[in-house]
Amino acid sequence: MADTMELRDIEVWDGNMAASQALRQVQVDVVAAYPITPSTPIVENYGNFTANGYVDGEFVMVESEHAAMSGCIGAAAAGGRVATATSSQGFALMVETLYSASGMRLPIILNVVNRALGAPLNVNGDHSDMYLGRDSGWIQFDAYNPQNAYDLNFIAFKVAEDHDVRLPAMIHQDGFMTSHTAQGVATLTDEAAFNFVGEFQPMNDMLDLDHPVTHGVQTEEDWHFEHKARQQHALMTAALPKIEAAFAEFEKLTGRKYNLVETYNMEDAELAVVCMGTSVETAEEVSNELRAKGIKAGVIGIRVFRPWPLEQLAVVLKDVKAIAALDRSSPHGTVGTLYNEIAGSLFNTGTKAVLTNYIYGLGGRDLTKAHLVGIYEDLKANMDAGKPTTPLQQYIGLRGPKLSFF
Amino acid sequence: MEKKGWDGFEIGAMLRSFDGATRDIATTLPENRPYSQSNSFTASVADWRIEKPLFNKDYCIDCQFCWIYCPDMSIISRDKKMVGIDFDHCKGCGICVEVCPTNPKSLLMFPEQKDEEEALAEWPKKDKNAQAEEPKED
Amino acid sequence: MLEIRWHSRAGQGAVTGAKGLADVVSTTGKHVQAFAFYGSAKRGAAMTAYNRVDDKVILNHEKFMRPDYVLVIDPALVYVADITANEKDDTIYIVTTHMSTEELIASQPKLEGRKVYTVDCIKIAQETIGKAIPNTPMLGALMKVSGMYDIEFFKESMVKVLKKLPQKIIDANMIAIQRAYDEVK
Repeated sequence: MADTMELRDIEVWDGNMAASQALRQVQVDVVAAYPITPSTPIVENYGNFTANGYVDGEFVMVESEHAAMSGCIGAAAAGGRVATATSSQGFALMVETLYSASGMRLPIILNVVNRALGAPLNVNGDHSDMYLGRDSGWIQFDAYNPQNAYDLNFIAFKVAEDHDVRLPAMIHQDGFMTSHTAQGVATLTDEAAFNFVGEFQPMNDMLDLDHPVTHGVQTEEDWHFEHKARQQHALMTAALPKIEAAFAEFEKLTGRKYNLVETYNMEDAELAVVCMGTSVETAEEVSNELRAKGIKAGVIGIRVFRPWPLEQLAVVLKDVKAIAALDRSSPHGTVGTLYNEIAGSLFNTGTKAVLTNYIYGLGGRDLTKAHLVGIYEDLKANMDAGKPTTPLQQYIGLRGPKLSFF
Repeated sequence: MEKKGWDGFEIGAMLRSFDGATRDIATTLPENRPYSQSNSFTASVADWRIEKPLFNKDYCIDCQFCWIYCPDMSIISRDKKMVGIDFDHCKGCGICVEVCPTNPKSLLMFPEQKDEEEALAEWPKKDKNAQAEEPKED
Repeated sequence: MLEIRWHSRAGQGAVTGAKGLADVVSTTGKHVQAFAFYGSAKRGAAMTAYNRVDDKVILNHEKFMRPDYVLVIDPALVYVADITANEKDDTIYIVTTHMSTEELIASQPKLEGRKVYTVDCIKIAQETIGKAIPNTPMLGALMKVSGMYDIEFFKESMVKVLKKLPQKIIDANMIAIQRAYDEVK
C-alpha cells in the first residue's frame, strides 16, 4: 500500500510537477518512459514517487520512445493503469505505436509537453507535435496552465478507462510556458483524487488467465475497415458525452468547470480569437483590456482537440463577425489546422463571419499581448469591411519582411 | 467464420481463444476445449491437401518425431502413443513422413482419394539394404 | 501586478529563487507565476528568470515583461547582459557586487539615474552556505528593499520551502537571508 502525501490546498507547481502528482494520486501501475525535454520531470517525478513508496507501481526505463509506448501497450493489454510522457521528436518516434494503442483500445494516458519538431533542433514549445497526433485516434485534451495539466489528467483517466470509451488520451501542455512555469495549483487530497478516477477496471486483460486472449491481431480487407469504424464510432459518439459527464463530476468535486470549447467574453462578441495552450489565457487578458475600450473582443480556447467539438464550436461562433484562427505550428503547404477545422465547422451554418489564419510562436517565439492587440485590430477591419482585409494566412512575431499566403 | 458488421464484435484488435472461462486448459484434450469461432482450431483446412499421410501402427515405435515436427499440430498422440492424424488440420505437407525413422516408414504419403485399407495392404516391406535412417540435419 | 526579472548564470539558483519566492508569496493568498528562459543552457551561461505576483489570477503568459524589480545575482552580468532591457521609469535594481552602489554605477553608466541597490550575495553565500549560490540572500535583500514581507515571516516561510535540505544548510540559508537584508544598501 502506497504512502499518502500531505499536500497544501494550494501548491506552487509547474505543469510537469502538476501532471506527475496526478499520476501519483491515481496510482498508475506502470510508466514505461524514455525521458525527453521538456517532459522529462513528469516521468522523473513518477520514478521518484515510486522509489520513495508513494506509488505502488513500476517505472520501466526503455531504450526509445517507440519502446516506451510499446511497453505501455503491453502493460495496458496485460491489464494495468498505464501512463507516460513525451515531447517533440520523442512523440514523433512514438507515432507508429500511438495508432496501435488506439486500435487496440487501450486506455493509456500520455502527457505531451508540446515542443517544436526539428530541424532545426529546438527544445521550446509549439504545437507541431500535438498536430502530428491528431489522426492517431487518441482523445486530446489541452491544458492552458499547470492547474489544467493537473485536473485534466484525472478527467483523462476517468474517460479513457470507461468501458464504453476504452481509448487512449493525451493531455497537452505548452513546453516551458506551462511545463516549467510554476503557478498556484489547487490540489485534491490523495483520497479524493483517487476516488474520482476509481479503481482500474480491466477489460480483455491478458492477465485474466481464465479468459485467454490474443491482442494485436492482423486483419486484412475482410475486417480492418469494420475495426476502424468501430473505433471511430466510440471516439465520435461515446467520448464527448463521457468527457462532459467527467467535467460535470469534476466541477462538483472542485468547483472548477471545464468545457469542450472554452469561451471568454463571448456573450456578445463580434471579434473572436481561437487558439490553444497558454495563448488562450494571454488572449483572455487582452480581450479584457479591449473590452474596457468598448471593443467586443472574445476568446475561444479548444479544450478538447480530438474528438473535434464541431457542433459546439459552431454554436459559440454563430454570431461572431470576424474570427482569427491562431496556429502554433507550421502547416507546411496549406492553411493552419485550426483554420481548416473552424472553416469545416462553420461551412454549412450560413455564417457570414470572416475567417483568417495566423501562424505564430514557432519554437517558443513569444506571443505578446501587443501581437494579440494587432490581431484584434485586423479582425475589426475585417468585420467593418465584411471580407478579409489581410491575406488569409499571416505570420506574426517573425523577423524580416512580412510573410503571408493566400 | 461469420463476417459480422462493424458493431457486432468485441472491441480492440483482439481475439478470444475460447468461449467462456477455461481452467486447467493445459490438461484438457483439444477435442474437449471450448475453442471459440475465432480460434483457428475451429477452421478446417482439409481441402488444402493433394496428398495425405497415412499411418501404419505395425511399424511405429512411438518416437514422437512426427508429433514434434508437424507444423499444424495434426498428429494425435495420447499418453505418448501415436494415435492417428487430425485430417481437419493436416495440410499434407509430408514433414511427418520425412522425419519418420522406422524401416519401413510408419507414415507414407498417398493421393488424397486413396483408400486406407488398400494403402495398408500395399505397405512396403523392410528394406534390408537400407541403413537405419536418422532425421536429416541440413 | 508586480513583475520581477532575475539575471543569473545557469546553476546559481535563479529558478529555485524565483520558485521559492513564488512559493512564499502563494501562502499569503496572492497569485504567482515563476518561469525562466532556457536555451540549451549549460552551467555558467547567462539566463533570466521571472516572477509575476498579483491579487487576481494571472492570465498573461507572454514572456515579454517590463519589470518592477531587476535582481542581478551574478556580478559580471551587469556588464554582459542587457539588465536594463524593457525597464520602466521606476524599475528598481538590486545587484550582487563587492562594490558600493556609487562604484557600481560608475563602472556601468547604463545604471545612472536608476534606483540601484547593492549587496554582495556571492560573498554572503560563500561565508554562510559555503557555496556561491546567491539566490536566497538576494531574496533577503528584496524583502528589505521592497518591504514585501516582514523578514521573520519570510524566513519562516523559506524554511518550509527548503524543508528537503539538511538542517544545517537551512540554518545557513536563514543567516544568509538575514545578512543580505541587513547589508543591502
